[in-house]
Amino acid sequence: MIKNYFKIAWRNLLKNKGYSIINVGGLALGMAVTLIIGLWIHDELTYNSYYKNRDKIAQVFQSQTFNGQTGTGPAIPLPLEPALRDGYADNFEHIMMSSWTMDSYIKYKESSIARPGNYMQPIAPEFLNLEIVKGEKDGLREINSIMLAESTAEALFGNEDPIGKIVKLSNQHDLMVTSVYKDIPFNNAFNDTDFIIPWDNYVAQWEWIRNSLDNWGNNSFQLFVQIADNTTFEKVTDAIIDIKKNADEEVAEFNPRIFLLPMEDWHLRSNFENGKQVGGRIKYVWLFAIIGIFVLLLACINFMNLSTARSEKRAKEVGIRKSIGSQKGQLVNQFLSESFLVVFFAFVVAVAIVLLSLNGFNELARKEISFPWQNGNFWAISLVFIVFTALLAGSYPALYLSSFRPVEVLKGTFQTGKYSGLPRKILVVLQFTVSVAFIIGTFIVMQQINYAKNRPVGYNKEGLIQIPTFAAEFSGKTDLMRSEFIKSGAAIEMATSSSPTTRIWSNRSGFTWEGKPEGFQEDLAWTEVSAEYAKTLNLKIVEGRDFSRDYASDSLGVLINETAKRYLGMENPVGKLLKDSDEEDPGPPLKIIGVVQDMIAQSPYEPVKQGVYVYDREDNFSYYNLRLNPNKSASQNIAIIERVFKEHFPDIPFQYDFVDEEYGEKFAAEERIGSLSGIFTALAILISCLGLFGLTSFVAEQRTKEIGVRKVLGATVFNVWNMLSKDFLKLVIISCFIAVPIAYYVMNGWLQEYPYRVILKWWIFALAMLGAMGITILTVSFQAIRAARQNPVKSLRTE
Amino acid sequence: MLLQLKNIFKWVNSGGQRIFLLKDINLTVEEGEFISVMGPSGSGKSTLLNVIGMLDNFDEGEYHFLDESVHTLKEKHRANLYKEYIGFVFQSYHLLDDLTVYENLEMPLLYKKYRSSERKAMVADMLDRFNMVGKKDLFPAQLSGGQQQLVGVARALIAGPKLILADEPTGNLNSQQSEEIMQLFKTLNQEDGVTIIQVTHSEMNAAYGSRIINLLDGRKIGD
Repeated sequence: MIKNYFKIAWRNLLKNKGYSIINVGGLALGMAVTLIIGLWIHDELTYNSYYKNRDKIAQVFQSQTFNGQTGTGPAIPLPLEPALRDGYADNFEHIMMSSWTMDSYIKYKESSIARPGNYMQPIAPEFLNLEIVKGEKDGLREINSIMLAESTAEALFGNEDPIGKIVKLSNQHDLMVTSVYKDIPFNNAFNDTDFIIPWDNYVAQWEWIRNSLDNWGNNSFQLFVQIADNTTFEKVTDAIIDIKKNADEEVAEFNPRIFLLPMEDWHLRSNFENGKQVGGRIKYVWLFAIIGIFVLLLACINFMNLSTARSEKRAKEVGIRKSIGSQKGQLVNQFLSESFLVVFFAFVVAVAIVLLSLNGFNELARKEISFPWQNGNFWAISLVFIVFTALLAGSYPALYLSSFRPVEVLKGTFQTGKYSGLPRKILVVLQFTVSVAFIIGTFIVMQQINYAKNRPVGYNKEGLIQIPTFAAEFSGKTDLMRSEFIKSGAAIEMATSSSPTTRIWSNRSGFTWEGKPEGFQEDLAWTEVSAEYAKTLNLKIVEGRDFSRDYASDSLGVLINETAKRYLGMENPVGKLLKDSDEEDPGPPLKIIGVVQDMIAQSPYEPVKQGVYVYDREDNFSYYNLRLNPNKSASQNIAIIERVFKEHFPDIPFQYDFVDEEYGEKFAAEERIGSLSGIFTALAILISCLGLFGLTSFVAEQRTKEIGVRKVLGATVFNVWNMLSKDFLKLVIISCFIAVPIAYYVMNGWLQEYPYRVILKWWIFALAMLGAMGITILTVSFQAIRAARQNPVKSLRTE
Repeated sequence: MLLQLKNIFKWVNSGGQRIFLLKDINLTVEEGEFISVMGPSGSGKSTLLNVIGMLDNFDEGEYHFLDESVHTLKEKHRANLYKEYIGFVFQSYHLLDDLTVYENLEMPLLYKKYRSSERKAMVADMLDRFNMVGKKDLFPAQLSGGQQQLVGVARALIAGPKLILADEPTGNLNSQQSEEIMQLFKTLNQEDGVTIIQVTHSEMNAAYGSRIINLLDGRKIGD
């Protein structure tokens, strides 16, 4: 019997090729989208699955309140570590201090590479489940040791055995390679930690760290813990939440709260708003899950609609089968088998589509997802997915078709009735509601991105490069290098800065100034720069003057931005002093010499932060910023700059970034979402249109006789076209009116996250509606005009 | 007695008025009869046939088929009953276009859950009997009207019904093809003892039967 069902289903597919292509193709597209999204979601949800103890691992976070604004982050002060070890040891299995992941130069003989890595306490290999390939497991015992990731060891040593070899870090420190570990897989925290150096080495290297050992105010470090087996994150957090507040009076006014962020939240739920956890990437997981479900639903609706629309063709078959003795249940089974067959085919095609597009998708989404051929669970879920889709798509047609009464369909008096098309119409409305909402959503995302992109950045980011200078050798050579670069003709100006142009790495408080309100807790972005910083960036001075080498006193000068001027409450800031409020050992007061235009260094969606640009007296810079010579091509300039750089720093790898590209990175997350949702929207529309196309062709076929009669009676092609199109257009217009408020509500909510956001204009909605109607008319017209142009004699003769 | 209709009424309501399709029909059919139902268009011939075939309901009256009271049966039982005992032949053949001759013949057997080997034997038998072995892999569209109706009759016969209901079986055929089909019916009736009820417009076809029932406006006016 089953065989017979499949045979008939197969012949039906072959016989109606156009219908089958629309059906299988549409469904396959929908399933492919759902599959890809499913793989993506799986990838997101299994982030950090490399770590065996992920249920017990957490990072210590801190939130503090400045002027009523609570900020939360992973940066913690050094004394926290001994405080936890001494007072709360029972709560923890492991406690591990870590630096940030920093780029450093590593050199062995002639090869020198720049890689990111961490300084960590010796427990790291165990804490991170490092898989040792060569050397000892306990690789961080000696202060001058270094552990390398396999890929880094290969890049540095080639075929040589790295164990026991001495490498030079930042061209300064000799370290011995003690072990090589397997690279941590891509989809995990620390996947970019290419080397690990003992924490004590970090402390020994830097005076400022040693000075911070008992300073609760310097939040510049990371602390990871694995809690004991007999406790929970909540309990530990409860125990330690006020540890900093109680330890140091000076910082207590900022209400510091110390808590644990479990490893499973690092990736998906790491956003905080006013001290509260507010999700994070998880919202995109939800967003895409919803998109996936909707796209699949659209494809299933096609299937249902096309199947029931063809009901009149199948009605005769149902009648005959029933009169020959088929029961309703058997017919239901038959139609469900057909639906299974179609869904199964669609699945095979969908898998092919996924395989073909996975590379492109990975590139777009910055993922390393591979097709899970080996994964039994995947196939089991796929099977459930096929059954579910087949039931979803096939149940309605199966029940509808099998309920025909044989006498009526065989006598030819069968009529689908006035309202039999109603479910189909509702489904079409649903489809286009989703499509129109997707169109509007994508429009708004793109608009928001463009809006933020077009926001003036305050400086000229084109033709500007930055070169990292993380080694001690750069100290004291700034003026030399500036004149060398300018002399070479590749750059017209150069300045150093303590953080990259597109970031703020340092914030300071602890100042007093004339007119400072009582109890005001200031928080200023802090960048140390050389004299020509504003000139190099083309940053406009709006008040006062720029740094000048002519005035020796400018070494204690400071430029503030416009926001800082308002923030500090200064009418005429030029000439005013920013004094260090430290009573024991105050630094020299800084004199404001000018106000510069606000420039965006952080999020382009948020207001510019109040900031100061301080003259770099102690060579604290981390970057060279170079304004390229506009009369040469960028590649010519870069080649010359590299040559000059190598002449002076032969042992340091030459690296550079274009500032405009770095700035563009700020949009990467939104652009990824934008382009992905754009693609999914396009597919959703394509699927809906396929369905509409199929539906029109059936309606045209159904009404062949009517069209014939009308034409005989004098209807023009336009009349017929109008008649056929109107019905569908009506449905799409209804969809638009449902979709607009939904899309408005959802997108308005989304935009609230961005302080700098586009204003929703009515024409976006109008455009989306017009677009949807235009697409509908195009789709419908193709069939409608073909039907309308048929010779009526032909269609009437068959009666 | 094969079946008995007692005071059968069937009506539809249209614009507040009750229009009778069948009015007080009484009919007893013995096994082995060959009955022709005649009457002008709209007199209720096909409706009567559908009621007998249990494809259609009636509103009043009693219907006994063998020992069962059809009017008290549930849909499912009724379907089992006609599946077991009744074969249908239609004016426009109603073969399934997607199936070959062989598969069309096999279909009723599938619904009766015969085993595969049995089905093969029965279909082969039937093909043999109707001289259609060479055509078994053709699709209906590849056959002439007469041949299609032959398949239709074969399909009605294949499960060994007691009663064949034929609604203008020759309505779409030319005279020569008609005669073949009517001859076939006659042979089936006389040699195999199959009861046949046919609806026809043609006196000539009616003459093949043993009894004629005349209908007018849903009433039986002659037997």
